[in-house]
Amino acid sequence: MPRRPARPSFALALNLTSLLAFLAASLPLFYLLRRALDAQISEIALILFRGKTLEILATTLGLTAAVTACASLIGVALAWMLFNIDFPFKSGLQALVILPVAIPSYVFAYSWILLIPGFKGFWAALFVLVLATTPYVTLTTLAALRRSDWSTYEVSQTLGLNGWQIFARVTWPQIKNSVAAGSLLSSLYVLSDFGAIALLGVDTLTRAIENIYRGSFDRSSASILALILVAISALLIRLEERSRQKLNIVKSSARIITKGVTTGKLRIKLIALLAINTYLALGLVIPISQLLSIFFANSTSINYSLLSKASLSTLLAACLGALIALALALPVGVLSAQGSKLGKVSDKAILIVHALPGIVMGLALVSFGSSIGWLYQSLLLLSFAYALLFMAKAVGSVRSSVARVPENLIEISATLGQKKSATFRRVVIPLATPGLLSGTLLVLLAAMKELPATLMLKPIGFETLATQMWSYTSIFRFNEAAPYALLLVLVAAIPTFLINRPDKGDGLGGDRI
Amino acid sequence: MRTKRVRPIALPIALILSASLLAGCAPQEDAGLVIYSGRSESLISPFLNEFTALTGIKPDVRYGDSAALAAQLLEEGHNSPADLFISQDAGALGAISEAGLFATLDDAILNRVEEKFRSSRLDWVGISGRVRVLAYSPERVKNLPTSIDQLTSPDYRGRIGIAPTNASFQAFITALILSRGESAAGNWLEKLKANAVKLYERNSQIVAAIDAGEIDLGLVNHYYIWEVSKALGREIAVANGFFAPGDTGNMINVAGVGILSTSSKKGSASELLAFLLSEAVQRGFLEDTHEYSLVLKDANPQGLPPLSQIPAPRVDLSLLANLSKTQALLMKVGLI
Amino acid sequence: MTSLEIRDLTVQLGSREVLKNLDLYISSGLFAAILGPSGCGKTTLLRSIAGLITPKGGAIRFGKQLVSISSLVLPPHKRNVGYVPQEGGLFPHLSVEENVSFALGRRVSRKEKQEIVEQLLDLVGMPNYQKKLPQELSGGQQTRIALARALAMKPAMILLDEPFAALDQTLRAEISQEVVALLKSSKTTSIMVTHDREDALVSADIIALMRDGQVVQSGSPSEVYLRPISAAAAESTGDILTLPARRIGRNKYLSPLNSPVEQIGKQVGFESGQILVRPEEIVLMDEPDENLVSAKICKINYYGHDALVELDFTGLSQTIRARVTDTKGLVVGSRVFVSHKGPFRWMPEKATGE
Repeated sequence: MPRRPARPSFALALNLTSLLAFLAASLPLFYLLRRALDAQISEIALILFRGKTLEILATTLGLTAAVTACASLIGVALAWMLFNIDFPFKSGLQALVILPVAIPSYVFAYSWILLIPGFKGFWAALFVLVLATTPYVTLTTLAALRRSDWSTYEVSQTLGLNGWQIFARVTWPQIKNSVAAGSLLSSLYVLSDFGAIALLGVDTLTRAIENIYRGSFDRSSASILALILVAISALLIRLEERSRQKLNIVKSSARIITKGVTTGKLRIKLIALLAINTYLALGLVIPISQLLSIFFANSTSINYSLLSKASLSTLLAACLGALIALALALPVGVLSAQGSKLGKVSDKAILIVHALPGIVMGLALVSFGSSIGWLYQSLLLLSFAYALLFMAKAVGSVRSSVARVPENLIEISATLGQKKSATFRRVVIPLATPGLLSGTLLVLLAAMKELPATLMLKPIGFETLATQMWSYTSIFRFNEAAPYALLLVLVAAIPTFLINRPDKGDGLGGDRI
Repeated sequence: MRTKRVRPIALPIALILSASLLAGCAPQEDAGLVIYSGRSESLISPFLNEFTALTGIKPDVRYGDSAALAAQLLEEGHNSPADLFISQDAGALGAISEAGLFATLDDAILNRVEEKFRSSRLDWVGISGRVRVLAYSPERVKNLPTSIDQLTSPDYRGRIGIAPTNASFQAFITALILSRGESAAGNWLEKLKANAVKLYERNSQIVAAIDAGEIDLGLVNHYYIWEVSKALGREIAVANGFFAPGDTGNMINVAGVGILSTSSKKGSASELLAFLLSEAVQRGFLEDTHEYSLVLKDANPQGLPPLSQIPAPRVDLSLLANLSKTQALLMKVGLI
Repeated sequence: MTSLEIRDLTVQLGSREVLKNLDLYISSGLFAAILGPSGCGKTTLLRSIAGLITPKGGAIRFGKQLVSISSLVLPPHKRNVGYVPQEGGLFPHLSVEENVSFALGRRVSRKEKQEIVEQLLDLVGMPNYQKKLPQELSGGQQTRIALARALAMKPAMILLDEPFAALDQTLRAEISQEVVALLKSSKTTSIMVTHDREDALVSADIIALMRDGQVVQSGSPSEVYLRPISAAAAESTGDILTLPARRIGRNKYLSPLNSPVEQIGKQVGFESGQILVRPEEIVLMDEPDENLVSAKICKINYYGHDALVELDFTGLSQTIRARVTDTKGLVVGSRVFVSHKGPFRWMPEKATGE
C-alpha cells in the first residue's frame, strides 16, 4: 500500500488508543506473571510435571479441539442451509440460531442435568459446549456467505458443478477465513468456560485454576496454570492466523445479495428444516422450557421492581462495556487491518487474554483497581472489565470489516477534500458499521451473562440479572432464579434480532462481521 | 427500494450520554459499613435490615462466593474497602487471618462462642455450625459404616459420592491430615479413589444423586438434605448418618466473621458482630438454614441431635486455612 | 481552472518503476486525454496528480503552486482536485444527494446544499435522482453522479479514470459527448485517462500518448494522429502499417508500394528505415498503372460504413490493410493496383529503436 501522509493528530490518536488497548489487555498477563513469580521454582516444577496436570492439559486440549470441530461443522452447515435454502420466516430463523449465545453455559448444563439424570463427564460437556458455541461460527459464516460473490455460484452451476462441488470449490474458499475466526472464538470460549465444565465435572485447566483459588487461596500456582492457558490460546491464535488467507473478493456486481440458491427440492428443504429445528430444540427450546418448568413448578411471586432494576443495570453495564470494547477494538482493528505492528500486537494480546477464566480477570482488575479508590468497584471499572474480558469478540469483526472498506472509496473521500479523520468518520465507519455492530453485539451478550468478575467489581447494591440469578441458585432457589435467566435471554434477544436482519443490507451486500 | 441505513455515530453517543447520566445521578452515598459476605443475600439481609432498624447503621454488602471473596480480600490487601468479612467456611477466614488482614476481636464477642469455634489468633469468630455427615439412602443402606475407613471396603464400591473441589470436603481432608498425618490421609484417599468413588461438583448434587438412586452414600454437610428437598419441593429419600464418636467424618465446621484491620468503622462492625451472635439472630439461622447455632447450645435443627451431642472429633478450625497441603495431596491422588 | 505541469516524474510501486521521468504540460481550461494501452502507467499518473501516490522523484505543479516535489507532497484533501475513478466509486451508504454534497463543508447551509445538488444533477442530466442509492443506478448514471460529486467542490482540475469504460456502446457516444461538453463548458481543466482511441480523439483538446511510463507525444488530436513521432505513437492513435523502405535519393525513399515518399521530420542520413502508413491513406485502383505495384486481395472485412481490405504483395511477408469506403468491384482473389495519398512518415532505422 502506498504511504500516504496522514494528519499526525489522527494517526496519533489511533496509535495511542491502540496502545491503551494493548496495555489494558496485558494487564492480566502482568498480574499473572507477578503472581507466578511469587512461587518457588520447585513448586512450579511440581505443578507443571505432576501427572494430573498433564491429564488436565490433555482433557482441556481434547475438549477444546472436539468442541471446536463439532461447532464449526454444525455452524457452517446451519449457516449454509439458512443462506441457501428458502424457508418461511428465514430471517427469524437466522436470528434464532444466534440466540443460544445469550444463554449462560451453566444454565445450559443445568437444564440438561435436570432432563437427564447422571448427565455429566466429557461427552456431556462436549454436547453442551457445542450447543453454546455453535452460534459464533454460524454468525461469522452467515456474514461471509452474504458478502460472497454471487456470480461465482451462478458461473459454477453453468460449469456443471453439483451442490457439494460448488460448496467445496467455490463457497469454502470464500468463507474459510470467517469460519476460522468463528472457530477461534468457540475454542477460546471452551478454554475459559467454568460454569458448564464445573457442573458436568470435567477437569479442564480453568476448573483447576478455580479450584486452587477456592481451596487454597494459592494465587501463585493458580497463576502458573493460567499462564499455561495463555500459552494454549496463543497457539490457537497462531493457528487461526496461519489459516487466514489474504482474500480479496472482487464483487462483479454492486447489487445486494440476500438470497442464496433457492433449492426448491422439498426433500432437501425438509431435511434442512429438521436439522435447524433440532439445533434450536436442543440449544434454545430445552434450556428455556426447563427454566419455565422450574419457574412454574414452584411458582413464587416475582419481585418485578427488582427484576426490572436488574435488567436495566445489566443493560447499562453491558452496553457501557460493549462501547468501551468497541472504542478500544476499533483503533486496534483499523491499525491491524493496515498492517501496523502495534495494531497486530494489540490484536493478539486482546485475543490471548480472552482464554482466561473470569476469576483471573476479576482478580487482576481487583489488584489493579483496589489502589485507586474512586475507580474501584465503580460502574466504570465494571464496564472496563467487561470490555477487557470480551473485546476479543469484537476485534476480529472490526478488523475484517474495516479491511473490507474499499480503498478506492477512502481515496475518493480524500480527493473530495476530506481529512483522514473525516474520511474515517464519514466513509470507513458507516461502511464497516454492520461488522462493528455485530462485534459489539457479541460483547454485549457476553457481558450480560458475566458473573465472577461482576461479583468482584460491581458497585455495592448494583445487581445484574446474572448476579441476581446467582444469589438464588447459590442457595438452590432455582425457581426464583428462573425468571432472571429467562429475562436474560429475552433482553439478549432484542439486539440479536435487531442486528441480524439481512434484508436491511448496506451497500456492501449485507455485510456482517 | 430504499434501504434504511444505520446512523453509526448517534446511537453510541446517546448510549454513552444516558449511561453517564444514569451513573452520575446515582447518589454516591457516604460509604456505610462495607461487608463482604459469602453468605447469600436472602439468608443474611433480613437480619441486616433488623440491625439497621435497631442501630441506624446501614451496611453495604458485596455478596459472593466465600473463597472468591477471600481471594479478592487477599488481592486488595491494605486497600480493601471492606470492614467485615462473613464467610461460609472456616478455611477462607483462616486465609485472611494468616495474611494478617483481620483485627483482633473484643473478648465480649469472642466469649459468646466456645473456644473451638473461633480463631486461635482471636481475630474471627464462628456464627453458625455445620456438621459433616454421611448422607445415605435408608432404603439401600441398612447398616451404616462406623468409620470412614469402612468406606474403602468393596461393599461400597461405586456407591459413594464426594465433592473433592468443595471447601467443606477439603476442610474435612485437612482435619484428616491433622489427625492422622499426611501419608495416612493420602492412603485413605487412594483407597477411596480405587473404590470407584464418584466425584461431584457440589454437595447438593451428591444428595440429589442419592435420591435419584445413582449412588447410595455421600460425604456432605448436614443441611443439604433439607436444602435439596426444599428446592425439589418434596420429601427426598435421603437421611443423615454419623460415624462412630470421634471419627473425623463427623467434624464440625463453622461459618464465621472477622473484622478487617484496615476498617475505619470497627465500632459499628463490632456492633454488627455482636448482633449476629445475639439469640434472635442465632435462632433465625437455626430455622432458616438448618444450621447449628453456636450460641444456643441445646437448640438443634429439626431431626438432628443438638450440637453438644454430635460425636465430633476435636479439630482446631484455625488450622483449616492451610489447604495447600490438602490440595497438593488431592492433586497427587488425582481427585482434583 | 489551472494549468498542470509535470516534470521528471518518477513513481515506483513495489519494485517496479511505473512512471519514468515523465513530463507533461496541460494548459488551463483544456480537456486532455491520456491515451495508452493498459499497464502503461496512465492510472498511476492520474493518482499521482490527485496525491494518492507519493512519487519517488519529480515535480507536479498546479498553475504556479508546487503540489509535489520530493520533500513536499501535498495530501489529496488539500489539492482541490476532483477525481472520478473507474465505475464512479460512489459511496454505497449514501444517497445520490449525499454523495454529491459530500465535499461541501459544514459552512454550507442545508438549503444551499440542496440547491447546489439540484443544479449539478440538472447539469449531468439526472434531475430528481436525489434520494436514489448508488446500487439503483446504471453504470453510466453512476459515472455522471461521480462527476457531479467532483464538480460540487469546484475543483481546480478534474481527473477521470476510464470514465466511459463501463458504458455500453450505444450509450457511450452520447454520454461521453454530454460529459465532455459539460466539462468544457465549465472551463475546468480536465484530464481523462483512457485506452480507447476514439474516446480520446473525439473529445480531447490535447492528447498525451503514454507508453511504458512515459509520455511519448502530446498535442492536438490531429497532430498526434497525423504526425506521430514514432511507430509506437502512431499505433496509439489508430491502425498503422509499418513498411520497410530505403532511401533512393535526397528526400526520396522507396517503399514496397514502389512509390517515392516525402520525409516527415528532420532525420536524414539513413539509408534504410520504415515508413508508416494509415490504412485509409492507401488507395486501390482496378485500372492498371505501370507506376504502381499490384497486390492480390486476400480478405475483405466489411464494417458497414467502411471496410478493411487485406492485400498480399509479392515479395512482402506481411499483408497490408487498406481502409476503403466502397467495396464495389473488389473481389477476394482478384488483383488491384495500390497507390496512396498524403505524406508517408519516414522513420529511419535508428529512430524506431530497432
